Amino acid sequence: MERDLEQLNCALNSVKTLRSNVRRVFESVSNGLRADHGDEGKENKFILELQELLTTVNNNLRDVENSVSNLTPPPGAFSLGNTAYLSQETTQERQALYGQLVNSYKWTDKIREYSALAGNILATNSFNKTYKTFSTTKRRKTQSSNHNVSPEVIENLITSIDRLFPDVTITTNRPFVPNPVIQASLGRVLKAIIAFKGLMIEWVVVKAHAESNDLWTESRYKVFRKVTENCHAAMCHFHSPMMPELAVRSFMHWFHSYNTLFSAPCKRCGNHLHANLPPTWRDLRTLEPYHEECK
Amino acid sequence: MLGFQNQKNVCKIICMMGVTILTQFPTGNRTGPETVEVLSKRILALGAAQQGQFLVDCDTYTSIPQLGPQRTVHVLHNSEQPATVFSLLESGNKTIPLAADGLFDLLMMKMSSFYTPKKQTKAESKGLRYEIGDFCVKLGTVTVSSNFKGILVEVEYRPCVVPAMCWDLLKEFLQGLLGQSAPGNLPAYLQNRVQEIYSPIDTIHQYLEHFTLFRKSPGGMGLRTQ
Repeated sequence: MERDLEQLNCALNSVKTLRSNVRRVFESVSNGLRADHGDEGKENKFILELQELLTTVNNNLRDVENSVSNLTPPPGAFSLGNTAYLSQETTQERQALYGQLVNSYKWTDKIREYSALAGNILATNSFNKTYKTFSTTKRRKTQSSNHNVSPEVIENLITSIDRLFPDVTITTNRPFVPNPVIQASLGRVLKAIIAFKGLMIEWVVVKAHAESNDLWTESRYKVFRKVTENCHAAMCHFHSPMMPELAVRSFMHWFHSYNTLFSAPCKRCGNHLHANLPPTWRDLRTLEPYHEECK
Repeated sequence: MLGFQNQKNVCKIICMMGVTILTQFPTGNRTGPETVEVLSKRILALGAAQQGQFLVDCDTYTSIPQLGPQRTVHVLHNSEQPATVFSLLESGNKTIPLAADGLFDLLMMKMSSFYTPKKQTKAESKGLRYEIGDFCVKLGTVTVSSNFKGILVEVEYRPCVVPAMCWDLLKEFLQGLLGQSAPGNLPAYLQNRVQEIYSPIDTIHQYLEHFTLFRKSPGGMGLRTQ
């Protein structure tokens, strides 16, 4: 396959050289005698030049013949499968479909190739974010996929979190079944809009109560934008593909510590304000409040 | 939606705003414009950006004797809520607040035979509005029937709606801005409402308290109210 391609390229290149040299012959013939041929024996000089050019063309032609004879003819007609029917399409706007099809085929091919490579690399450098080692006696039933779990499992998880914290009120809606988007109101301080992907937290936005429940616009207040940033950091910190439920629980536990966002002073500097912001960071283990700059 | 128990709170949430503290800044031996200048330099040095102007005004009407015991109506406008007219009716020892739309002004004019405007009492606080982080600071020059009376500083912390939660934080901000003149306690009006959700009418109450004091004070001087 590799060799075939090389030869094909080689043949195409020699055809290119042949064409360009033939062009030079015609150019020279059409120009006829030129000033740079001088006065004496100009006809002879012209003929010599033409002869030279024709020799090169001859050589090129030989090259082409050689490289073509090296090529192996394809064993038979290419089988295009169902795509062959696309050529029978008569409407104007659909005739471009074949090109697009080929492009997307190339893309999927590349994705397969890259994901196989990435899979290999990740398999050799496996990283485990859980602190727990699984003993053989108490092995939990491992879920085959955390992306695709039944809605009831997620529902149970959300209800249990709702019960865990009395001042967190959770409302759920499911624009993308079965992945829910929940609004968690933390007392009268703030609310977070959390999107789930299976059992894992996919996206978090923190806003004031008066703001919209839209997942894509950020809060208009600096303090909530900062808290959103920190929630993203915590979301990644607590993320553990092996124990997704624990990850969500730990995240919610951490998130719950924001009920003192406005009232608790920074543990380090003892002040409420730094750069006009209250302590927006909560320590991941101790849940103590810190300013961004003091942590 | 927010898990609050009663209907009243839900209503308030729709029109809620950040907790606002209104405090008087003594002019000392400076003139009004000089004091505002000092404060605006301070706030700009803290990194604030000027965002337009503001105006809060107050007209007071009293009922005619034929209506029985005298009642007073204060009608206030706040440029922050331009489509709303606030009124506070003082009847005996009760104060009844009302937030209505712009037509309320015309209604008061229609009722001029029952409620007559008090002479020489139009109070105004106007000046520049600054934004710094999530805070909104307004430096107001107070005039009562166009006589200079003093300086009112309004500080709003917009993300927080419950006074009890952010009072310490606001106190720290006020100390940073006003130094020794910063208030040490919550305004008297808010002390009974620290756990309630703050709404624009609460700001109006605070303005009225200060305007009433300014009307009683003899002239432009930096008298402390607390």
